[in-house]
Amino acid sequence: MKQNNMLAMILAGGRGTRLHELTKKMAKPAVSYGGKYRIIDFPLSNCANSGIDVVGVLTQYESIQLNSYVAVGRRWGLDAKNSGVYVLPPREKADANLDVYRGTADAISQNIDFIDTFSPEYLLILSGDHIYKMNYAKMLAYHKEHNADATIAVIEVPMKEASRFGIMNTDEETGRIVEFEEKPEKPKSNLASMGIYIFNWKLLRKTLLADIKDPESNHDFGKDIIPALLNDGKALYAYKFKGYWKDVGTIDSLWEANMDLLSKNNALDLHDPTWKIYTEDVTSLPQYIGSDAKIEKAFITQGCVIDGEVKNSVLFTGAKVAPGAKVIDSVLMPGAEVAEGAVVTRALVADDIKIGKNAVVGSADSEHIELVAKRVKGEE
Amino acid sequence: MSQAFGIVNFAGNHIQVDGLQDYRPVGAFSFLGRYRVIDFPISNMSNSGIDTIQIYIRRKPRSLTEHLGTGRHYNINSKRGRLHILYTESNMVSDLYNTDIAAYIENLDVIERVPQQYVVITPSYMVYTADYSTLLQNHIDSGADITLMYHAVDNAKDNFLSCYTLEINKQKGVDSVTPNRGNAKNKNIFMDTYVMKKELFLDLVSKAHKMSAMYSLVDIIDESCHDLDVRAVPHRGYFAAITDFNSYYEANMSLIDLKNAMNLFVNDWPIYTRTNDSCPTQYFETSNVKSSVVSNGCLIEGTIENSVIGRGCVIKQGAVIKNCVISSDVVIGKGVHCENLVVDKHARLIRGKRVIASPDKPGYIKRGDTL
Repeated sequence: MKQNNMLAMILAGGRGTRLHELTKKMAKPAVSYGGKYRIIDFPLSNCANSGIDVVGVLTQYESIQLNSYVAVGRRWGLDAKNSGVYVLPPREKADANLDVYRGTADAISQNIDFIDTFSPEYLLILSGDHIYKMNYAKMLAYHKEHNADATIAVIEVPMKEASRFGIMNTDEETGRIVEFEEKPEKPKSNLASMGIYIFNWKLLRKTLLADIKDPESNHDFGKDIIPALLNDGKALYAYKFKGYWKDVGTIDSLWEANMDLLSKNNALDLHDPTWKIYTEDVTSLPQYIGSDAKIEKAFITQGCVIDGEVKNSVLFTGAKVAPGAKVIDSVLMPGAEVAEGAVVTRALVADDIKIGKNAVVGSADSEHIELVAKRVKGEE
Repeated sequence: MSQAFGIVNFAGNHIQVDGLQDYRPVGAFSFLGRYRVIDFPISNMSNSGIDTIQIYIRRKPRSLTEHLGTGRHYNINSKRGRLHILYTESNMVSDLYNTDIAAYIENLDVIERVPQQYVVITPSYMVYTADYSTLLQNHIDSGADITLMYHAVDNAKDNFLSCYTLEINKQKGVDSVTPNRGNAKNKNIFMDTYVMKKELFLDLVSKAHKMSAMYSLVDIIDESCHDLDVRAVPHRGYFAAITDFNSYYEANMSLIDLKNAMNLFVNDWPIYTRTNDSCPTQYFETSNVKSSVVSNGCLIEGTIENSVIGRGCVIKQGAVIKNCVISSDVVIGKGVHCENLVVDKHARLIRGKRVIASPDKPGYIKRGDTL
């Protein structure tokens, strides 16, 4: 907490319903991405790299894996004195019934006591669902520079897609937010909220306490808190972020985000030694590439054994491609195995799923990416 | 918790790996891309429940201490366990005096304070996996004074020439421990792995120290074979001794074959190493990789065949790598053709277009060199 007086809270309770079987027993932030990572490694590593020492992770939906995963703050170097990752699922309190988090703002409200123990000056609110690299220290500097009450990170999206996002209408000269519109039919700007907020804690605390009592409220940052602050004439600024940012809400977008890693000099640049993304340390072997292997444009991590053909694909820890098998335009999640002669095209094979001998999965001209979440039997 | 503590011993004077050893002890050598040689003995101990481990370092400690750190990555109990790094090298007149016995004498009080009753001693220059908890139990059950582990080989004439051999009698007793003179194909190669009571170990150390200033533990045990009950236990599985440049190269190359590697990397026996947080390896359109072991963090555009590639290497378009062992953070430039080489860390092969050594005498490229 010493470093910059800013505490981070990551909203990680999302179900990620549109990821289907991938999030059946696991919250979306715990879903694997990019060969060796989980989505939540990105905000956590960003915090660690930005000099933030204390991170609260608000979990709710299917949180067993996520809770145990983030509890080991050592993975992101968040384990020094006065530093740590705190897992915060809903809890029973003396003066209230046990209740789930009713919205993003409610999740913070229910943990006001936790935040108060650190008495931070600033509170950083993050989403556990997004893939991006961002220096929050720079955003905080911007927030201070503008004497803002709150700062919201925004990214320019194509105008025709703007109606899918929460849009910030700003004063072009100052960057001050004049209006916020949630998924507007006729957007006036293309600055989409990234769900990343810096608040002056004292002000947010007061606003949240008022929000709890409001029976009409959805207890949501976008729907309630931001509009309330704007109504009160508070100084809200938009911090423009340039770089890779992706919300992987669907199987198609999760696949796409993985494919993005295949191009040379891609914008996410996971190779950058100055901004590493940290994750669980696994003990598997290095990659074993067999004598008949053929690899063309691929992102492959340790523990993989490749004896077949891999083209334009991302392979996660321990994935195996047997001799004569083909994996094209696909993603093999951790432990997925493709047996002899099987062909996988435009598919996302879920964790530990086995594709049997000579089986054919997915097709080159499908509209959507095929999610393979059950074992595919092959020839005996 | 184990009844034994562990000692990982350094490579003695008879071990000389040209080139690589100028920068670090054998234990700190990069091995099979992502490992260091010492990861194997320490993981063996950790997996066997031994969590008080002493690592002896003789010379050039930097890279080894950096790699070992607090030892946390070896999955040793962080409160009850301990990875203890001990140094020798106290102004020896000559390196000849710098023996393991000298190191134990210097750290005698540290050894005496260890509460465990038994000691398991392993070398830092051999690569194998073995369960020391079984070895220890066998030792205790047998009632022997000392148990030594060996690996029976059929190629001792030209290999393992810096190793010791065990002469074993019909009762599995050891008659002698003598250097391999390369006079026979079939030998029982001593794996420099001992089990005995701590008390006996301390007795032998002080006895050796009195007898000769140049004695090693192996010498005093050879002398004691007739007075003590010294027994031999065979080891099965993968075994390599890194005693010179060729054996380092060969050990790496032999593990490119996954079937062979599965004799070393057995199930439920993880080999721990320090993470580097490098991202997965990226293969581009022009890459052509076959029969190779590749670590994370590489950018590969060229051709790789029958080679071991360390972490964070950049292999540019048109580069050809054949039968090479490449350490971490090496750059092989456009169109550069390398064959039969060991390339040390941070080397950059960019200008010389053909760097080819003969297959029976692999070449060495120095750390940080630009070619």
